[in-house]
This record gives sequence, structure tokens and C-alpha cells, in this order.
Amino acid sequence: MIRHLFTLIWNRKKSNFLMITEIFFSFIVLFGVLSLAFFYLDNYRKPLGFEYDRVWVMNMRWNQEKPEEVRNIQYRLKQQLKSNPEVAQVALAASNIPYTMNTSNTGFNYNNRFTMADWFTVDKDFAEVMQVDVAAGRWFTTEDNAAGTKAIIINQALRNEIFPDENPVGKVIREKDNPDRKIVGVVEIFRQKGEYSSDKPGYFEYLNTDYASNGTAGGTLDNLMIRVKPGVTRAFEEKLMKQASQIAQGWTIEIKTMNEMRTSDNKITLIPLVIFSVVCGFLILNVALGLFGVLWYNINRRISEIGLRRAVGAASGQVYRQFIGEVLVLATFGIIIGIIIALQFPLLQVFGVQTGVYVAAILGSVLVIYLLAAGCAAYPSQQAASITPATALHEE
Amino acid sequence: MNNYTLNPLATNNASVDTPPHHQKTVIKLTDIEKVYQTKTIETVALHNINIAIRKGEFVSIMGPSGCGKSTLLNIMGLLDEPSSGTIEIDGASVKSYSDKVLARLRNEKIGFVFQSYHLINDLSVVDNVELPLLYRQLSGSDRRKRALAALEKVGLSARTKHFPNQLSGGQRQRVAIARALAGQPEIILADEPTGNLDSVMGNEIMDILLRLNEEEQTTIVMVTHDELMAKKTERLIRLFDGSQVS
Ligand SMILES: Nc1ncnc2c1ncn2[C@@H]1O[C@H](COP(=O)(O)OP(=O)(O)OP(=O)(O)O)[C@@H](O)[C@H]1O
Ligand SMILES: [Mg+2]
Repeated sequence: MIRHLFTLIWNRKKSNFLMITEIFFSFIVLFGVLSLAFFYLDNYRKPLGFEYDRVWVMNMRWNQEKPEEVRNIQYRLKQQLKSNPEVAQVALAASNIPYTMNTSNTGFNYNNRFTMADWFTVDKDFAEVMQVDVAAGRWFTTEDNAAGTKAIIINQALRNEIFPDENPVGKVIREKDNPDRKIVGVVEIFRQKGEYSSDKPGYFEYLNTDYASNGTAGGTLDNLMIRVKPGVTRAFEEKLMKQASQIAQGWTIEIKTMNEMRTSDNKITLIPLVIFSVVCGFLILNVALGLFGVLWYNINRRISEIGLRRAVGAASGQVYRQFIGEVLVLATFGIIIGIIIALQFPLLQVFGVQTGVYVAAILGSVLVIYLLAAGCAAYPSQQAASITPATALHEE
Repeated sequence: MNNYTLNPLATNNASVDTPPHHQKTVIKLTDIEKVYQTKTIETVALHNINIAIRKGEFVSIMGPSGCGKSTLLNIMGLLDEPSSGTIEIDGASVKSYSDKVLARLRNEKIGFVFQSYHLINDLSVVDNVELPLLYRQLSGSDRRKRALAALEKVGLSARTKHFPNQLSGGQRQRVAIARALAGQPEIILADEPTGNLDSVMGNEIMDILLRLNEEEQTTIVMVTHDELMAKKTERLIRLFDGSQVS
């Protein structure tokens, strides 16, 4: 019977072409949406590499002060904030902290291996504030204050790219025009862009922000990261603000909880998925209506065929199954073309998304398209099956 | 009722001198009524029909247009239900049969031939002939074998890969007969099989049916408008306005 259906569809390929094309397009769009959704889902299940809860971020914008002056003020502000009983720890970090749009990246070269890597400048207290765990080696300490080389800590993704078979701890990265960078540790993961982002190569670079021991070296950092103790409420913000305005006079200070930053950043991340899904939804609705209409039309045109099949021995249920089967075969043609296209994504690795995500998206799309086709075919097919044979044969 | 002696195959009145294979009744209609009910009018298509078709008979049905011939044939072929009365196939009433059982009876016992052929244009000749076999448990090669054998019988072995619209009317009707034969039914019900054909092609079709009846003892009930065709059969049933007149 299946072969019979394939023969029928194949012989009617001209009139079925439009429907196959429609099914193909909806398959592709659905595949896109599901790929994105599964990509997010896959990422969502991975660890972030830090704890955003109870972290408050004080963003600072200063005026015409010289860098040493800025560092001096920041140092004093950090000490002041830390002295509050509500505060567990305070760290200074560059602008590209988690849940911001800011990105810093740079090439990473070692032993003829190269990758682009995110690059986060932080001080030694950052790990404690963000609860970053070190997997190998150690976190930054005052040992790293020694001038000459810069201490860095790489993430596992960077290690996999550059040091697949060797222990990176202790390795020194030498590049002309750049100070030497020495790897002192490895962290498992640190996904700055949040739970929906993929795990990318990246490293922390140490900056000594202890003004008393620092003199003039190093740059300036924009954010004070504050880990507050459990039970601290938003009312504490006012106190922080007051202390900041006394020490950093004339600076523009903004305080946000990382929870808030996370909520708004994740919303922005999800917007494309939502838009894409809505478009996909309309497309699928359109395809569903189209399928339904075409089926309805086809079945009405084929009433005498239905009568004939009943006359030669098809039971009503067989007519029903035949029409559903035809639509599924039709869908199969569209799906096969769709899969051929969809398979190019994992094969060519265009977006560097894991193959499993694409496979799941393909399977999901196949399932949805089959369900859609069967759903659209159910009613027309049932109508076809309920025609009495004599009436059907009457029609010409 | 049935005393045409022109048929070279049946020289005797069946009710007087029944050959052995004529004894078993394959289709028996008793007190059949068929009323078509539409919104405004009620059409009595068949009234008080009592017919027994015996195995191996070649029966023709005649009557003016609209007198109920097709309706009668459809009821005999289990394609339509009578409003009242009973249909027996091989001595058993089909009243309580489910759609599935009726479909199987149609598939195994009965072959249909229609005036307008009812071929599926998107299927090749051989695929069309295979159609009844699709509803049986048969392997693909078995189906093909039987379809080709049926086409051979109607002399169309050279056209198996053609499509219906590449054939003449007579050839199409031969395909339709091959389709009816493919399932090796006991009974063939033919509704004006020569109605759309000229006399030469009509005679070809008629010869095929006569040969089937003679050589394979296939029971045939044929609706026709053509007295000459009817005279070639053993028995004639005349209908007028839904009732039997002979
Ligand atoms: N589905 C139907 N609904 C209503 N009336 C019908 C239906 N089918 C047939 N009839 C009516 O029943 C009567 C018998 O129709 P039938 O088709 O059996 O005639 P027929 O003898 O085969 O005619 P013809 O020689 O023209 O084929 C006609 O009056 C017809 O109008
Ligand atoms: Mg008729």
C-alpha cells in the first residue's frame, strides 16, 4: 500500500509540487526556530560558572581625573564599601561583566595555535564576589603583583583550543608588542553572556587595584562588584550611594543588582527567538490552512476514485488511511528535501553549534510537520471515507 | 422471463433445463425497495424487486433511462443499501454485515465494470488493474503477476505501462474489465459496459464477457440499452419505473 501511495504521489507530482514546496519551507523555518530554541535550552542546562544572586554592581563614571587619581578614589571606595557589615566582599572589574552588552576579545596565540578569546580584567577579589571556582592551578593573589608578566587564568574552552594535550598552568604566552602573560590557573567555565549563551574561549587577566602597592601601573576599571550578605534588602542601596558620593565626589554612580541585569539581558536575548517563533507560527498556520484547502479540493475532485476504491473492496477505514497516508507521503517528500538542506548546518558547522542541537531540531521539525499534515488531513479524509460508494460512483 | 435462445452458449431456458453449474443461487434479492429521499421529493427507484442470480448465469437488465437499473446493480454489488428487503449472497443475508465485511465481499466475490470506465488517470494501466488486489494480503510481485494475467485475457499485454488517457475508449473498457478480473471474482456486475463505445468496440467487449462466462463460468449481470447485446445473454430482466416487468 505504501508503494502504491508513493506511485500515486509521484505520478501526481506536478499538482503536488506546490504543497511539497510549502511543506519544505515550513520545515526549514521550523528547523531554524527549533535549532535556536534547542541551542538556548542546551546552553541553559550548562553551568554559568558564577553566582549572580546577591551580587550588586556599582557602575562608576568619573570626570577629568587622571588614572592614578581614579584608582586612588576607587581603592578608597572599595575599602569603605567592604567595611559595611552587610557586605561580604567587593571586587573591581572591567566593563564586560556578566549580563552586559560589553565585550572585549582578543586573539590568543600559542605554539601556532590560535583562537579568539574573551578577555576579562578583574582584581583578586573577583572570584570571591562572583563565586568563580578554579579547576586547576590557583586564583590571583598578591604574588601576581610582580611587574613584568601579567597573570591570567584561562577557561576550559580556551584550554581545549590551545592546550588540548598539555597542562597550561605555568605556560607563558609571549607576543611582540604585548607584555608576557603567564597562566596561573584554569576555571571550568565562565559564560559572561548568561545562561542562553554558549561556552566560548576566554580568560581573566589580573589587575592589581591595591593603590597602596600599585603606584602607577595598570588601567582603570568601571565596576565595583559587591557581594552582600544574605538578608540584605534594597534599602542598603541608599547607604552605598551615600558612601560613594562622599568618596567619589562628582562621579556618576549607578547601582543595580545582578538579578535585575540578568532579567533584562535575558529578555533581549530571547527577543529574536520570540519574533522568529511568531513568524514561524503564522507560516505554519498558513501552511495548515493551505494543506487543508488543497486536501479538501483534492478529495472533492477524487470522489469518483473513492467510489471506485470502495467498489473494488476498500473499507471505509482503508479510504481514510489512504488519504492520511497520501498526505504523510507528500509531507515526506517535503521533509526529505528539508533534511538535505538542514543537514548542511551540522556538516558545514556554520555557527559552531553542537550537532546534537541540529539533530534534535531536525527530529522535532519532522515530528511537527507530520503531526501538522496528519492533523490537516484528518477531517477531509474522514469526509472522504464517509461517502457511500454508490453516491461516489455517481459523480463524474 | 428468460427465454432468449440467441445466445449460442445457453441454448436452453435456464429454469427448464438448468446445467449443473446453474443450480446455486449466488445473489438473491427479496422484496427490494429503494427510495431516494431528497429535501423536497421522494423518488422510488426500485419497487418490489425479487431476483435470484444463479451461478454461471449471464443476465442482462434493460429498461428506459432512469428506471433504476444502476440502482439495482449497485444494490446487488453491495455498493448501496436498499430501503427495505433482503440481499443474500451465497444464501446468507448481508443485513448485519459490517462495512469491513461488505468491503471484503466486494473485493473477493464481485468485479465491477462501469460505463465510464472509472480508471484512475494518474495510475498506469497495470497499476489500475492491480487496484482490487491492493486490498488483499498479497505480495507486490504476486499482484503484478495476476494483473498482467488479467490484461493478457483482455488482449492488452502491450499496453501495461500506458496511462488511461493514452488509450481508446474500447481499450479503457478492457482495462476496466481486466481490473474486474484481476481479483478472480465469481460475479461481474457491468453497468452499460458498451454504452460509450461504437458497435465494433462494443462487440469486442461483449465477446470478452461472453468468453468469461463460458470458459470460466463467471456469473455476469449486465445493464444494457442494446437489444442485440441483451439477446446474446441467457436471461433478460426488464425494468420499468423501478419495477420488474419481465
Ligand atoms: N443519489 C440519488 N439521489 C436521488 N435520486 C437518485 C439517486 N440516484 C438515482 N436516483 C434516482 O433514481 C432513479 C433511478 O436511477 P438509476 O441511476 O438507477 O437509473 P438508470 O436506470 O440507471 O438510468 P440510466 O439508464 O440513465 O443510467 C432515477 O429517477 C434517479 O433520478
Ligand atoms: Mg444507469
